[in-house]
Amino acid sequence: MIDPGIIKMSAYVAAGIAVGAASLATGIGSGYIAGGAVESMERQPQINERLFRAMLIGQAASQTGAILALVIGLLLLFGGFDNPAGGWYRVAALMGSGISIGLGSIGSGYGAGATGGQTCVAMGRVPDKNATLLGNMLIGQALSQSVTIYALLISLMLLYSTPLQPEGLATGAIVLKSVALLASGICIGFGSIGSGLGIGELAGKSNMAIAKIGKGEMGIMRVMFIGSAVTQSTAIYALIVSFLLMFVL
Amino acid sequence: MDMSLIVKAAALLGAGICMGLGAIGPGVGEGFVAGKACEGIARSPEHAGLITRTMLVGQAVSESTGIYSLVIALLLMFSV
Repeated sequence: MIDPGIIKMSAYVAAGIAVGAASLATGIGSGYIAGGAVESMERQPQINERLFRAMLIGQAASQTGAILALVIGLLLLFGGFDNPAGGWYRVAALMGSGISIGLGSIGSGYGAGATGGQTCVAMGRVPDKNATLLGNMLIGQALSQSVTIYALLISLMLLYSTPLQPEGLATGAIVLKSVALLASGICIGFGSIGSGLGIGELAGKSNMAIAKIGKGEMGIMRVMFIGSAVTQSTAIYALIVSFLLMFVL
Repeated sequence: MDMSLIVKAAALLGAGICMGLGAIGPGVGEGFVAGKACEGIARSPEHAGLITRTMLVGQAVSESTGIYSLVIALLLMFSV
């Protein structure tokens, strides 16, 4: 049995990390999209309404990760996680949960911003392909956000499905399980940064390529899908290691 | 206090950090490669097969460090 204040402390620090880290990347990403839209408006003032709409849709998609982190942050603050029976397991799990969704949103926040920004530039270059570009942008942003969903999954599991600390356990055993829970959050948090960034950048480049190519968009979209599947693989390794840390060890 | 369990706990923390940080590089790198492949196909669509093949080989090489991290993480978790 530990002081419930320690569990609350952990929840508050975790909430700060979650929302802070997630907002950092989304801020950059949304700015990137607005920059692309402004650049294109200067080139094609007559389609400014379409560009403005694409900018807002792209920014909303780029902020999804931050909103997920905000939800976890609010749960950490007001979810009532101060039952002292949770013990050190709960302290570690809450911290891991905040780190997981906070770091996990960095990749997709910036990645979806890179996709949206390059899409806005591409729309300014070839106004007659706007519908294709917008569709491809949303697909790319969704792919880049899939890794944030892994982080959200681990984050929610750490919040709601970690065991209570059994009574009368030796200190060593408590430290072992608590550290495993914390490491699980750290692993998927860092692990999804790279894939989110990579897939976002890839989807943006593929839209620039669609704008440049006359016909054969399908070929480029195929490469985009293959590329993002391969890019996703390291995030899946991190997810597997997180699950092993949470349930096997 | 049982010191061997504390050592084991440190190994688990190391495994999480190892796989987490190790996954960043390949993720960014592979995405960058595929983006450049899209640019290349836009410039010369007739070489799409060659470009895709080279992209996959490059991504496999870039993936290798992610696999090193996975191996080390698994070793830290199960055999330290």
